[in-house]
Amino acid sequence: MTTPTVSTEPNTRANTHVGAKPFDLSQPSVRTAPVSDEHAVVSIKDFNLWYGNFQALHHVSLNIPKNQVTALIGASGCGKSTLLRAINRMNDLIPIVKTDGTITYEGVDLYDRAVDPVEVRRRVGMVFQKPNPFPKSVFDNVAFGPRLNAYKGDLNALVEKSLKRAALWEEVKDKLKGSGLGLSGGQQQRLCIARAMATEPDIILMDEPTSALDPMSTDRIEGLIHEIKEHYTVVIVTHNMQQAGRVSDRTAFMHLGVLIEEGPTDQIFTNPKHEMTERYVEGRFG
Amino acid sequence: MKASLSAPAGAARRPGKRLVSAEEARRLAARTRAGRIFAVVTFIPVVLAVALVGVLLLDTLLDTVSWQIVEPSSSTSGESFPWSAAPLGGREVIRLDLAAQGETPEDVQAFMNDPEELRLFEARGRIELMWRTEDGPFRWVVTNSRDDSVADIGLFGVNAYLSELRGELAEDVEDLDPAEGGLLGRLQGADLDGLFNRFANIGLLSSTLGEDQNLYLNPWLDLSFLTKNASRTPVVAGLKVALLGTLWVMGLVILITLPTGVGAAIYLEEYAPENRFSRLLELNIRNLAGVPSIVYGILGLYVFVRLAQIGPTILSAALTLSLLVLPVVIIAAREAIRAVPSTLRQASYGLGATKWQTVSEVVLPNAVGGIVTGVILAIARAIGETAPLLLVGAVGFIAYPPNGPFSRYTVIPSQIYNWIAENDVEFAHVASAGIIVLLALLFVLYGVAFYLRRRFERSW
Ligand SMILES: Nc1ncnc2c1ncn2[C@@H]1O[C@H](COP(=O)(O)OP(=O)(O)OP(=O)(O)O)[C@@H](O)[C@H]1O
Ligand SMILES: [Mg+2]
Repeated sequence: MTTPTVSTEPNTRANTHVGAKPFDLSQPSVRTAPVSDEHAVVSIKDFNLWYGNFQALHHVSLNIPKNQVTALIGASGCGKSTLLRAINRMNDLIPIVKTDGTITYEGVDLYDRAVDPVEVRRRVGMVFQKPNPFPKSVFDNVAFGPRLNAYKGDLNALVEKSLKRAALWEEVKDKLKGSGLGLSGGQQQRLCIARAMATEPDIILMDEPTSALDPMSTDRIEGLIHEIKEHYTVVIVTHNMQQAGRVSDRTAFMHLGVLIEEGPTDQIFTNPKHEMTERYVEGRFG
Repeated sequence: MKASLSAPAGAARRPGKRLVSAEEARRLAARTRAGRIFAVVTFIPVVLAVALVGVLLLDTLLDTVSWQIVEPSSSTSGESFPWSAAPLGGREVIRLDLAAQGETPEDVQAFMNDPEELRLFEARGRIELMWRTEDGPFRWVVTNSRDDSVADIGLFGVNAYLSELRGELAEDVEDLDPAEGGLLGRLQGADLDGLFNRFANIGLLSSTLGEDQNLYLNPWLDLSFLTKNASRTPVVAGLKVALLGTLWVMGLVILITLPTGVGAAIYLEEYAPENRFSRLLELNIRNLAGVPSIVYGILGLYVFVRLAQIGPTILSAALTLSLLVLPVVIIAAREAIRAVPSTLRQASYGLGATKWQTVSEVVLPNAVGGIVTGVILAIARAIGETAPLLLVGAVGFIAYPPNGPFSRYTVIPSQIYNWIAENDVEFAHVASAGIIVLLALLFVLYGVAFYLRRRFERSW
């Protein structure tokens, strides 16, 4: 273990541990090979988020590099989904949420008063934990986003392109008129990915996209994430360490709303600098 | 098959083959027994309810049919005509009847060519396919409102009628002439008390008829019942006025409550901020759904009939009933909207939909089944409402069908009420026929609601 850039007391553990000292919520994050602001497509700076009185994110700062896959890992309830939803302002749908700090996307503060969250979500697509296709046809599912904005181009071509990128085209090209709910779970999730891609976003957020799927479907979607990063920046939440290792370029580890450590995935997994990261990736924790 | 179904229980009881200890098996048996008793106990009310409804329905249905002894007026022939003589019914029967009265073909033709005469005749007379007449089954009969109704006998009342007649005849047996004595003899010879020979004595009944009297089995509820206007005479009284009144009122209620109710539900579910005011609003809506309907009637009388000067018209009725069903519609629509999974809303927002796009493209299409079902069930409730409408105009005798939202009106339940309040006992049959139509209407509505629920059923 190399010398940590920040001194970490052996005893500063999760306050969920009985008899442990309280967890230091204001500790700085450990960063390895940090992404510079110029290379970041999304830049989260000193971001705090409250659900009512409960603070779910504490001073989170994270730069997300373009056309790479960033994985968010951490124990259940640590705020991964919250951080992910903050990037496309899905948290705005929860009335009790308050935020401060900034998240900039290509230099624009997404939380600026002048920015419409609808616009944000156009550029930042999202795939959810459980496949949630609309009870509409496969075609209408994919065409939903473009239609919202009165898409002017060739809708058929766009749908085909999106389904091909989601590696679903071959399976559904003969049943585009069939219900999206008639597909298998794995197909439904790829349909949701195609649907997200059809709005032509720059960033795709994925919240445990394979947790409801079998290993085969998981495999396909992981392969898919590899392929699509050529076109998109991907941020993925996962509980599966192997998956984070397989698909991501960079990994960020969170605990109790604090970003503990972030860095290149291989560094995080083979050479974590923070003791909690080490324990988490080795599976001795959480 | 049976054996294999009961095998687990049997196996558990067989000694040496228990899966659980004897003590536990005993407790299991007790639990099973308790469950079975409970199932029976809860089933009894169902049986009672179904039986009660069945009896009521059957009684009403039987009441829509009666034997009638009629003395034809001079404007009808007193004859009946086989169904095959005029398979298309109506006018053709008038022609036959006029000919039977001895009119010349020219006169008949002149009568048939005069629309005013025909209209008058049709307003006065009932041209009916009777199920049974003295002359045989299924014959056309022209029953004029000026025909004298000699007797009206319930479907199963033949024996009672005959034994009453026997009593009357026996009292003044001295001044009977031999012919009528013969009738008394026949009556005394007949078995009038048996439970299962009620129809066997129809022949006897027809033999008691006097000169020029006819016996019909009158189906009060037939198609013409729906097309005849109201009348003071039971034979020609029909439901058309009330039926059209109900359809008009309900149509307007749907037009009014669907947009307002669904709009309010959308606002409350999707837009209303979570604060004291919206909670108060929600509480009020729930309470309003429980306000007695007569209160809405008073409100409607004051606001719509008097203050807004709409008068006792269809529009007033529709507005009043709309107020009555609106809370129910709002609650049903809110529940349908709430049942749309939030994951679909999230998907929509996640794709860059605005709030209104999410509501109109995702929420409403998926809630439409529940909304429409809720509206129909609310309407079904409103159809039976009488009390509030009595206050806003649905009273008294309305002779002609409504022709617009500002005409005076009556609705089926209040028409039924009026018929029951009539002196003439034959109106009881008319009222029964009206009740059956009302129930049929409700049945159709529930059927539509059921169909729609199936049609829009979703599996997310
Ligand atoms: N809508 C909400 N209202 C109030 N508190 C919330 C809400 N959503 C999440 N939280 C709280 O915020 C914290 C972070 O939740 P979040 O869903 O981001 O965790 P997570 O890391 O995604 O967990 P998991 O791995 O189980 O999905 C948790 O303590 C949770 O209880
Ligand atoms: Mg989560």
